[in-house]
Amino acid sequence: MEAAERVLGWIAEAGATGDLMIAEGSSLSLKARDGELEEHKVSSSQVFGVRVIKDDKAGVAYSEAADNAALRLMVDQALVNASYARSDANEKIPNTNITLSTDDAVLAPTDNVSVEEKIDAVLRLERELGARDKVKNVPYNGVSDVTAAQRIFSTAGLEATSRIRACFSQAAALVEDGDKNVMEGWGQSARRFDELDIDSIVDTAHANCLALLHGEAVPSGHYDVIFDAQCQPTMFSTFSMMFSGKAAKDGINPMRDKVGEIIADKRLHLFDSPLMDDGFGYALFDDEGSPTARTSLISGGSLETFIHNSATAAHFGLRTTGNGARSPRSTLAVQLHQLEIGAGDADDAAVTAGEYLELTDLTGTHSGANAVAGDFSFGASGFLCRDGERVEPVRNITVAGNFYEMLNKISLIGKTRRWDMDRHAFMPSIRFSDIAISG
Amino acid sequence: MLDTSVARSVIDHALFLGADFAELFIERNQVNNISTLSSEVQAVQSGIDFGIGVRVIYGTKVLYGYTNRTDNDELCRIITELSAKDLKDPVTTGASFDFSVPDDIHHAEKTLTEGSEVESKVEFLRRADRTARAASNMISQTRGGCLQREQSVEIFTSEGLHASDIRNYIRASLSAIATNGSEQATGSFNDGGLIGWEIQEAIDSDRTGSEAARQALVNLSAKACPSGRMPVVIGPGFGGVIFHEACGHLLETTSVAKKASVFHDKMGEMIANPVVNAVDDGTMAKEWGSINIDDEGMPTQHTQLIKEGQLTSFLADRVGSQQTGYTRTGSGRRQSYKFAPASRMRNTFIEPGDSALDDMIDSIDRGIYASHMGGGSVQPGTGEFNFAVTEGYYVEDGKVQYPVKAATLISTGPAVLKEISMVGADFALACGMCGSVSGAVPTTVGQPSIKVDDILVGGNA
Repeated sequence: MEAAERVLGWIAEAGATGDLMIAEGSSLSLKARDGELEEHKVSSSQVFGVRVIKDDKAGVAYSEAADNAALRLMVDQALVNASYARSDANEKIPNTNITLSTDDAVLAPTDNVSVEEKIDAVLRLERELGARDKVKNVPYNGVSDVTAAQRIFSTAGLEATSRIRACFSQAAALVEDGDKNVMEGWGQSARRFDELDIDSIVDTAHANCLALLHGEAVPSGHYDVIFDAQCQPTMFSTFSMMFSGKAAKDGINPMRDKVGEIIADKRLHLFDSPLMDDGFGYALFDDEGSPTARTSLISGGSLETFIHNSATAAHFGLRTTGNGARSPRSTLAVQLHQLEIGAGDADDAAVTAGEYLELTDLTGTHSGANAVAGDFSFGASGFLCRDGERVEPVRNITVAGNFYEMLNKISLIGKTRRWDMDRHAFMPSIRFSDIAISG
Repeated sequence: MLDTSVARSVIDHALFLGADFAELFIERNQVNNISTLSSEVQAVQSGIDFGIGVRVIYGTKVLYGYTNRTDNDELCRIITELSAKDLKDPVTTGASFDFSVPDDIHHAEKTLTEGSEVESKVEFLRRADRTARAASNMISQTRGGCLQREQSVEIFTSEGLHASDIRNYIRASLSAIATNGSEQATGSFNDGGLIGWEIQEAIDSDRTGSEAARQALVNLSAKACPSGRMPVVIGPGFGGVIFHEACGHLLETTSVAKKASVFHDKMGEMIANPVVNAVDDGTMAKEWGSINIDDEGMPTQHTQLIKEGQLTSFLADRVGSQQTGYTRTGSGRRQSYKFAPASRMRNTFIEPGDSALDDMIDSIDRGIYASHMGGGSVQPGTGEFNFAVTEGYYVEDGKVQYPVKAATLISTGPAVLKEISMVGADFALACGMCGSVSGAVPTTVGQPSIKVDDILVGGNA
């Protein structure tokens, strides 16, 4: 707090406005190998990041050192950086003179799990999965417990404090049977360590391995495709630039001139829903201290709005949607909190009627997608299904197309919605038609 | 950066608690990042990271922690907390520190310490933007970037090692968007090295702009890519990502030790077509993936991985060497003090052969010429990998026909290494970032043009 007052004072002395972000974190992560603890890692860290705005120009700088000289240098550097930036009258420190804080009971609950019990959990995870049928070893496994706190102070008087806790456990097993092998896994996220279900992770990881072990490619062609609860959010988040007000302002978003136009199947309703408190993207305010809200992005197939921070909103003559995003090291941007797709009108049986491919794993999503053009080509695996039953495991195929065109290739949207593993997306199953598969 | 007496005290504390080995990794990382949109400066960002990574090893168990503080009490507290479950009587005593500074084969002139040179970098990016826009009125937007950082590291170990090094990285890039009605396509070009801003004399802003624009315009006219199994010629430079993903990661003791690599028991065996010779070399002067010493303080090396198709070496760090018995290769690397080191690639490439690119194309009845590649990924346990084509062409009857878009190549490492039937002489290197267990580290990939006889092409046709 004292450091914040000093930093904000230096900014004011320079005739600028600004904000200071202080991010602090602590974590424990554990990995096992051959029945022993392989890695035990603990950390605590702190970083200060400042944004200054002077003469309508913004500059940022950060420091991991907290001494007076380092913080002073950080402010001076941000002022120098601002002098080079283009003038943007829309980026201002919001006139928000309030104190905000998150609820630890919801976002950073405590439990009584000791370090010894966490070590036991990772050892059991590796041991029990390693003992399952056909498992050669469990090369990738671990549990972690991370707490991150963020404080934002602005020259306008904002003081926003947030704290989150995230516990995670995952394991991937290498399974062999003759000349066949496969590596698959599973994981879980939770706010409390005692909510992680090690038995369930072992069961699911093993089942995933056995299910795909004897998978073969299907013939190349165009198939009906259902992306599973993990892959479907991956597809939408890979192309999330289509909702970015900043990318629209920068002339990069391919949807920048399409607000109000039909861009998707008319049954598609898509929202950014930060107020769903059982998701990991739950947030009451953004990194500018602006209140969040459920934002309708696509309604009846029509693009309703982009997500905005205060600067992009001002550029378009709008109000912020509460999607301002910034880290101590970065400039002001926008980000989705958690994606929600409205329930469709199709029963599960209708969505899975006839023959289709269920894709359960996508690879190369970081490199095989072009969000500007919408084109993608990913490695994939999953199952050839008929009437809801998996009839054949499928591996060594690719799925390719154009995501923006795919939004108009929706044949059915299911009624049942579910969270993905990371609890950042809440969606029903969507059946897409005429998707190119290479095998 | 850390007082030697503090380092001595902290390491002695770890050994007193029974550790077999203790190490301190001190890092100061100064960053300056300029981004442009069109001809305007969008942002200048700068900062300093500083921290200390503490590694304690009991047998093969690695305990790791880090802090931003430099005082003896905090560092000892971390070691005490980490070692709480492993306390035993001391088994060794610390050796006296023997300070060494490695030969600097990557000397930099225009470092961040000397000045951030913002005006000069901005002018470079503006020239690249002008060149890109001059290529066609269909170039609708450009984004430029120039990232420079100066990483100072200091390493102390219980074996008496005390080494320090300074690494100056720089990378400049431009991406261009071409637009025709509702159609958009992208192209990009970047270059960088372990060098200061004097790299501007070696990289050309006009080439940066014209290459980004050329690729965007090619991709704007591209058709859907055919799919299925077919021969593919992969161009030089970043095409080397195929070896990086298909083989390089599988030769790191990080996966070999866990038997999570399909090559873990193949040392000395033929794993590739005899035309394939492959190297991982950290010693190449001023290359992006080079280092003087690795992040465990060991001088880096030139490591022959494959010789005429035969597996000749793995990439080993300290723990990987301890677990597998293979000799360390100066390959222990980490993104920052926040990560324990692991065996990682440096400058990794397929060595030149003697085939001509035209002969490779001529030999194809129906296939793809992938002149530029994007990134990829691999699953070491099965060797299954993928990587993206960012500029490709359909080839029929030995002739390049038309550009194609949105293609991914997938296969397994063991399969594709045996399908490389021709290796060209047009060798080139390219910069990349590689992500793995010890974070994202600068790596160079490289190769001459190569022909892969059979690989799955994932297209949209």
